Amino acid sequence: MSMTNFQACGVIHQFRGDALITNTMSAMFAISAVSPSPLNLASVPLMGGASGLGLGLAIAQPNRQVMVLDGDSSLLMELGTLAQIGDVAPANFIHFVFNNSLQFSGVANLDRPGRNLDFCAVALGAGYASAQKIETPEALAAAMPELLEQNGPHMVELIIRAPEKFTHETPQPEIPELQFTRMGAESAAMMDALGTTR
Amino acid sequence: MANTDYSVPASAVHAVLREKGVNAVTTVPDFIQFALHDRLKNDPDMTYLECSAENQALTTAMGMYVGGLEPIVMMQNQGLLNCLNSLRSVGIDGSIPLVLFVGAFGREFSNLGQPLTDSRRVMVNRTQPVVEALGLPFYNLETPGDLPKVAEAFDTARATKRAAVVHFGYFPAWN
Ligand SMILES: Cc1ncc(C[n+]2csc(CCOP(=O)(O)OP(=O)(O)O)c2C)c(N)n1
Repeated sequence: MSMTNFQACGVIHQFRGDALITNTMSAMFAISAVSPSPLNLASVPLMGGASGLGLGLAIAQPNRQVMVLDGDSSLLMELGTLAQIGDVAPANFIHFVFNNSLQFSGVANLDRPGRNLDFCAVALGAGYASAQKIETPEALAAAMPELLEQNGPHMVELIIRAPEKFTHETPQPEIPELQFTRMGAESAAMMDALGTTR
Repeated sequence: MANTDYSVPASAVHAVLREKGVNAVTTVPDFIQFALHDRLKNDPDMTYLECSAENQALTTAMGMYVGGLEPIVMMQNQGLLNCLNSLRSVGIDGSIPLVLFVGAFGREFSNLGQPLTDSRRVMVNRTQPVVEALGLPFYNLETPGDLPKVAEAFDTARATKRAAVVHFGYFPAWN
């Protein structure tokens, strides 16, 4: 069983409240469409940055809920970040890994390294308070209240079904300008919303 | 000049950080900046985070900054080369005015007082050209007289909303 990026982000949207959400890769496109907010900060173009951004926000804003929407290959690129998250142990911190077992999801659907790697085991080994694998939107919705209530950091591995890759009939579009300016624009918008602009 | 004449007291650098409101450090520690690491880690007003890699030190510092803290990032010259893409993203595209403290690991003492680019060691002689190739300002601390450059780095980073590099050409002193 599995779910799509949009289904997972739809559930996260229902429960986010005023959470700060760092995001990247295909989860970024889904959360931006489903739950647009000045409290979203994309790591783009920056593979692997979402977890570090989320940890920094959690340290600076310990009373805020922070959610990280990570890619599986993105997390592998900066896997060491789990060590710091385990050390700091932010209580209001949910780390979602959108595990589609692929990279360039919905574009080229290439394999990724780590076929035998267990994200939940690694997170628990790093000192996360909980870790679970979730395969359906219903199960995610059922898990959310407790994830928000119990002290974290929590790892949630979402089993994601990737969209079809591009073919000759669906040629690759040019990457929009927005993608190269949004990290600056979104950090400015988040600072505005948090009252931390200087 | 004796080698020790090149040392900037770590306490003087610490005082500038206080003056500039710095209250957080993310780091992969640097051989050159031990005296400063020691001070900042033991400063109760400083949030001090050891990171597994420099990319993570930069992204976590960005999250801290957006959340309202005033972090610096400490690393050595090898670390700088390790995180150029994150520096491009956070320090240029992301418009986060982070000041990076970078130590000149491997600098031969015979190069003190000479241009860094004349060092025999690649990690020493390429650091400044790489930073400048990114279009970021580079402030080399060579002697105690260079201390004002630290405050200047903060002022420039904040005015331009870009990262700036303070480069320790020699060990800061343990006083
Ligand atoms: C440093 C770096 N190396 C390589 C790339 C090219 N790249 C872009 S996306 C991607 C894969 C991302 O995979 P994942 O995080 O699993 O996200 P998904 O595509 O599955 O949503 C790669 C390798 C990059 N952006 N940055």
